Order: sequence, then structure tokens, then C-alpha cells
Amino acid sequence: MGSVLRLRNIRHRRGGREVLAIDELDLDAGERLAVLGPNGAGKTTLLRLLAALDTPTAGSVELDAVSTSGADARLRQRIGYATQRPGLLSTSVIRNVELPLRWRGFDRATRRSAAQVALERLGVARLAHRKALSLSGGEAQRVSLARALALEPQLLLLDEPAAGLDAEAREAFLDDLEAALAERSATVVHVSHRADEALRLADRVALLVDGEIRQIGTPASVVRQPADATIARIVGYDNVLPVHIERSGEVLICGAPSGVRLTASPGPATLAAWGPAIRIGPPGRGPLSAMVKHVSPGSGHWNVTLAAGETLHAHVPLNDKPPQVGEPAAVQLDLTHATVISAGGRDNTACRW
Amino acid sequence: MDAVHEVLGRSALVSLTATAIALALGVPLGTWLALAPRRGRAALATVVNTGMAIPTVVVGLVVALLLWRSGPLGELELIYTLRGMIIAQVLIATPLIAGITMAGLQALPPELADQLRALGANTPQLVVRLWIEARVPLLAAAMAGFGHAISEVGSATIVGGNIHGQTQVMTTSIVEQVGRGDFGDALVYAAILLALAFAINALLTSVQQRAAAWARS
Repeated sequence: MGSVLRLRNIRHRRGGREVLAIDELDLDAGERLAVLGPNGAGKTTLLRLLAALDTPTAGSVELDAVSTSGADARLRQRIGYATQRPGLLSTSVIRNVELPLRWRGFDRATRRSAAQVALERLGVARLAHRKALSLSGGEAQRVSLARALALEPQLLLLDEPAAGLDAEAREAFLDDLEAALAERSATVVHVSHRADEALRLADRVALLVDGEIRQIGTPASVVRQPADATIARIVGYDNVLPVHIERSGEVLICGAPSGVRLTASPGPATLAAWGPAIRIGPPGRGPLSAMVKHVSPGSGHWNVTLAAGETLHAHVPLNDKPPQVGEPAAVQLDLTHATVISAGGRDNTACRW
Repeated sequence: MDAVHEVLGRSALVSLTATAIALALGVPLGTWLALAPRRGRAALATVVNTGMAIPTVVVGLVVALLLWRSGPLGELELIYTLRGMIIAQVLIATPLIAGITMAGLQALPPELADQLRALGANTPQLVVRLWIEARVPLLAAAMAGFGHAISEVGSATIVGGNIHGQTQVMTTSIVEQVGRGDFGDALVYAAILLALAFAINALLTSVQQRAAAWARS
């Protein structure tokens, strides 16, 4: 399959500063790209360029080899865009879904049928004749998505589609979204600041930081080998620590041996570790000494915060007895739940014992 | 009583015609001011907002000077005519309607226009949909425009001249009766004028409130 979406040398300025700089990005037909990044990274700006709502200051965005600069409604009619806020109209739910189909010239029967199917797919067909402005946040998000899906767009753009939903509604919504996308061949660009959401729905993930794509790859590759400390934090690592690798391969945390040896280039590096990588034992039963600072129940485990020069976040199985706040402890690293990023680390000069 | 009917009918004709023309001018102007790039609209928005507060007698004076027989538009022979009065009332009501339209559209969720464009609306489709969404303030604009037109006396006197049987309207008639010390008739005319304004505004308010309730029920 060829590239359906091509971005080249994109530079976009707003308020006198550059907010987006993407040299190259291609999406194949039917591919699902998640753009993951913190608030203010330029995610919505990117979507607006893709939706042909804005024209980049420099560079080109092409949909099927046609530039979207100065695009008219006809080109935009090949794109479905569900904005972060649902943006529903003060009419019935079904008319909200039907209206963009009417703009595309579909007859009444086709519009009604397509709208019904989309509402059913998102589990909100029972709301078809309700006033759209009376819906709850979760219902409105589903209707907004149904409206975009009913268009059977070539390119579907989703801007934080599950924003503002509580945990339960969010899970159910993402289940339905995943199923709906699986039934379609649309190319999807989905932006989110939540790693779990982006990683779950995407074939590829682009990490957008300060307007630049810092890393792009499969969800597994960016999680297993984040390019730098910022990306490690974005994809959700519980611990992102500056460390030093000795010539012997010994990994030092705040100058103290961690008990871990690596075959990596010596010098400053970053250790990215999930909570289970931080193993807690009684004092003296591990290479690093620590103090328990905070303990709280989490999702299926105890969250334990330790001071070991750097602050460490450990997960202890919920059925185990958690350590007590103020207790001394020993820490051992389990590298099966961690990765060392050789480049981009800094020598640790700010250890807090 | 026939005289009252005649004057009342003339008032309604002048004010409703002026309001209709002011709507045709003010709603598109207010829409442009709400949706156009910020750079181009700021100065005109200030002019429109100033126009909302301009004394009607000043508008009457300017229109009269323009339409005066020796004035630049004197050849049109509109001074002391109903058409001249309608022109003055259009100039009074248009900024009000444009200003309220602009504010009403700007009060819509900011992402709505982009959402509609992204869903494939062309410019006419977008504008019509935004007007539907802003129907409550747009009806308020119509009511304000009509209210301003039917109640103003300054321009009606200067441009219309309060000629009996030709350009006399309810407000100028009331002023004349008060000038004569005929307070009883003035009060009757005032009550009738109020009843007319009430009837038209009651109709528009009913439509407006039904539209507001429909969206939220």
C-alpha cells in the first residue's frame, strides 16, 4: 500500500514562535498512527493541519498526493475529525450525525441508515431522538465519534477522544472505538496525552515533544526502548533516573552501586524502570539503601515511594505486606522490568539522600 | 379613531420595514465580524459598537443633511418621506443588530465553527448552521432592532417632519400632543404604541424561548 498522507518539511508558527517542526511523516492507507505527547506539544496543531483547517507556515501536507493547503470543503469531506470537545449541535442526536452526510449530498434514506448504523456501532442508537445538548459527556463523545465514522472517511482524525470520561466510561468507550476502527479501512491519526490509550489503538506511535517528533515506531518498540528520558516519562515508566555506567559496566545510582552490570558504553545514562523493577527487601539485603517515604494502594499493587538518593517508585503485590513509612529498606533492581537509555543522560549531581 | 389607525399603521410599516432591512444588513455584518480574521475586524467592530450607542437625533441630523434638497442626495427627494424615515431607522437599527449578532456568534463554543468545517461544511452551510445555533441571540437582535426603531423620535421628527397624513408616526404624534398640552390623547397614543411593541415582542419572545427550551429539553 502507498502513502495516503505525506508531510514534508512542515514548519508552523503561532504567536511569533515555532510550534511544529516535522521534517517527514508518511502514513500508509489503513494505518493507525497515535501521536503521543504532553499538553502543549503541538498535537492538536498537527491535527488541524491534517484536517486542512490551518495551512502550515512552510512545508506541505498531501492527502492522496493532493495538497491540503487552501483546501475547500470537497477535500475536507474525505476527512472525519472528532474534536476533543464533542461540538454537537442543538438538534437531535440523529440529525447531528446526518447533517454532514447531507452536506455530502446523500439522500435522506441513505443518511438515516448510515447514521443509525454508526450510532448502533457506538452503542448510542437508543439516544437517536434525544436532544444532543442534553447528553452526558460520555454519550456526547460517542455521538461525536459516530458522526465522524458515519462519513466513512478516508482519513479519520481523533483528538483525545476519551478526554473527560471517568475510568469506567473510558474503558467501555475505548473498547467500542477499537471495535469500530477494526471494521474500517480508514487511515487513522489519533492524538492523546495518555500512553495507555495511544498504545492500545495504534499500529505506530509518534512521540511529539515541543513540536518535534522525537521518536516513531511500533508501540512495543517505543515502550521497550524509549529514545530519551522525556519519552520514557511520556510512555509511562514509573522511574526515570539519571545513572552512571562505570567502565566495568556497573550502574551507579547517585554514586552508589546498584548491583546491576551492563554491557553498555560507560558514562552518564538514564535508567527507565517500571514499578516492579524496584525490588524492596529488609535493610542490608540489597545493594542500595533506601527509606520508605509513602505507601498507598494502587491498581492491583501497593505504590511504594522510596528515597534512595533519587526518588524511586516501586510496586509491591497487593497481597504482600507493604513496608511501613519511615522504615529503612534495601533496594535491588530487576532489569527485566527496566531499560537503560545510554544517550541523553546527565551525570547525577542532585542526589537527595 | 381612524387617525390613530392610520398613524399606528404607518409606525408599524416604517419600523417593521426598517427592521427587516437592518436584519438583512446587520446579521451578515455581525457574522463577518464574528468569523473574520481578527486583524481586519477590530476597527469595524469598534465602529459597530459605537453605532449601538449613537443618539438617534444625531443619525436624524446626518440623514436630513444628506437628503436635504440642497444636500448631496437631495435629487432623490427623500426628505420628509417615509422612505427617508426608513433609511434613518435602518442606520439606527443596523449597528445594534450587527453588534448583538457578533456577540451571539462569538458566544458559541469556539470549536464549533472548526468542527463544522472539518465535517465538510462549505461557507454558506457553515454560516446557516451557526445562525441556527445562535437563533436565541439573533431573535434578541431582531427585537432590539425593532424596539429601537419603533420607539425613536429624534430621526423621525427631523427626517420625516411629522407631516399629518404623510409622515406622522406614533412617537412624533405623542411629542406633538404633549407640546399642545393634550396629555390625555398623548397617553392614549402612548398606550397604543406600547401595546403594538408588546404584541410584536411577545411574538418574537415566544419563538425565542421555544427555541431556547427546545435545544435543552
